[in-house]
Amino acid sequence: MLIELDAVTKIYNQGQINEVQALTEVSLAIAPQTMVCLKGPSGSGKSTLLSIIGCIFAPTSGRATIAGKPLARLPDRFLTVHRRATIGFIFQRFNILPALSVADNITLPLLPLGVSPKARRERAGVLMDQLAIRHREHFPAGQISGGELQRVAIARALINDPPIILADEPTAHLDSRLSRDFMQIMADLKKAGKTIVITSHDPLVTEHAAIDRVIGVKDGRIDVS
Amino acid sequence: MNAIIEKQCNILDYALSSLWRRRLKNGGIVVVFAAVIFLVASFQLVTSALTESAGRVLAAAPEITLQRMSAGRQEAIPLAHADRLREIFGIRAVVPRVWGYYFDEVRGANYTVLGVAPGMPQAEGLSNAVANETPWPTGAGQVVVGRAAAAALELQPGKLFSFFRPDLSLKPLEVAAIFRSETELVTADLIAMPIADARDLFGIPATHATDLCIYVANPAEIATIAGKIAKILPDTRVLTRPQIQKTYQVVFGWRSGFASVCLLAALAAFAILAWDKASGLSPEERREIAILKILGWETSDVLGLRFWEGIVVAGLAFLLGTTLAYGHVVFGEAALFKPVLMGWSVLQPTLHLAPQVTLKEVLLLLAVTVLPYLAVTVIPAWRAASVPAESALGG
Repeated sequence: MLIELDAVTKIYNQGQINEVQALTEVSLAIAPQTMVCLKGPSGSGKSTLLSIIGCIFAPTSGRATIAGKPLARLPDRFLTVHRRATIGFIFQRFNILPALSVADNITLPLLPLGVSPKARRERAGVLMDQLAIRHREHFPAGQISGGELQRVAIARALINDPPIILADEPTAHLDSRLSRDFMQIMADLKKAGKTIVITSHDPLVTEHAAIDRVIGVKDGRIDVS
Repeated sequence: MNAIIEKQCNILDYALSSLWRRRLKNGGIVVVFAAVIFLVASFQLVTSALTESAGRVLAAAPEITLQRMSAGRQEAIPLAHADRLREIFGIRAVVPRVWGYYFDEVRGANYTVLGVAPGMPQAEGLSNAVANETPWPTGAGQVVVGRAAAAALELQPGKLFSFFRPDLSLKPLEVAAIFRSETELVTADLIAMPIADARDLFGIPATHATDLCIYVANPAEIATIAGKIAKILPDTRVLTRPQIQKTYQVVFGWRSGFASVCLLAALAAFAILAWDKASGLSPEERREIAILKILGWETSDVLGLRFWEGIVVAGLAFLLGTTLAYGHVVFGEAALFKPVLMGWSVLQPTLHLAPQVTLKEVLLLLAVTVLPYLAVTVIPAWRAASVPAESALGG
């Protein structure tokens, strides 16, 4: 399995007055080259689950193994290194920096890796060609359409060629046409060998043909109902 | 190694674009910081230039000056003292000098009148301070005038003018030359004349002088000889050249010190502003850092970004501030600080300062301006850099 969670519990502010138990003994296994949807209402623990799968933090207890590395044993610095080699993120509203150009947004993950400007341009160029946004290369990201913005976010998630793509409520602010476009790109990426985890309660996502499994999350637990 | 350098180049590149994106805010900081550096650097340059200028001129002063004191006040010294001094081994020459202040009621200015004996070693030093190559002193009634005094009295070489003697009779004088502008710090209000003319002007008898200039054979023995003189002539005050030089340094030192304290207060105020700017994150900055961290930037990378931003802002401000300060001191005659450093005399020297820009001074300036700025921007950046990556995710 590429992603394995075993009895994972996450407690924020443990031992303090504002302690919150976000996940309770969650067990989950996701095979390579599959597309999984985490479905649940707001505050159900989807984002916490996504954060653990995305190596942003380790669980309070239980075992989480992402791409062969157990998270609990990795210090924060190594979590970051493991994350940038393994995970590509697509955020809700895409989290693109509007003042940067399209190309600069796409290559942001490469800067701390010491990749030269020429190599960055080449890698971004390939992705911009694939996603049909090459003509917007030097445009400020704040001046392009929603559909193009979505493709910029996807290109940025793929720039390090990670095996896992995580998308957090990607269609929450898109119309149905753009949502369908997005899912088609995800389906193509799955075919290309990526493992994709999407949090969403949008039927266009949960009921998409490319989705292999929908996992319900409720009150910090896997919803088996 | 290449990857590390490439990574720092990438972060610097991003820092530059980040500064440019917030160019209005950062431009404002550069301008304010440059103004503070300009003030501090101007003061440092003026002080060093004045000290240098004073030292150059005082190099021609006698090694020891002897004045007679009575009831705590200076009085004319009998020339007979000079004979007793010549018995001390190591004294090369003893030359009487007559000097005093002449108050010009019309202009409200005080001129320093100095009488010099022809051929005395001091005359050679003063001669070097004269604008043209005229041998000096040239003759009875001829004077060499400082630039500020010449301007006040509207004098030029060859012009005749008169001063009042104590009995209110007029003493005619003729301008032989004007002192060079480089020596203005100590010659601005000076009117130098043959010693006989100075005696005549102040009514000092030929048996007395204002003080005695003592020249020693070995400058290393100045202190020893000064001690011997104080023992032989207990009614005198012995002033050595190093003491006079130190007095000048102290005078400029306390003035610049006083002003520096005021400027440091401005620097501290700026540091507080910079701290506030660095530690307070706008929602937009917070979001940007969270995005960078979730995309794989480490805390150290974000700190590096802040460090480069600080270096660029401080570097630009330093270059701008010091360049303006140099222009202000060299071409603007330190117009802003002249009253503080030169005093409030009616006759102020026109400064032609040539600051000595040494590595030590540049480093000192960096230490009191750029380093505190970097400290107050990078240290609180820890807070900024520790924005959790998950805050980029939705609910």
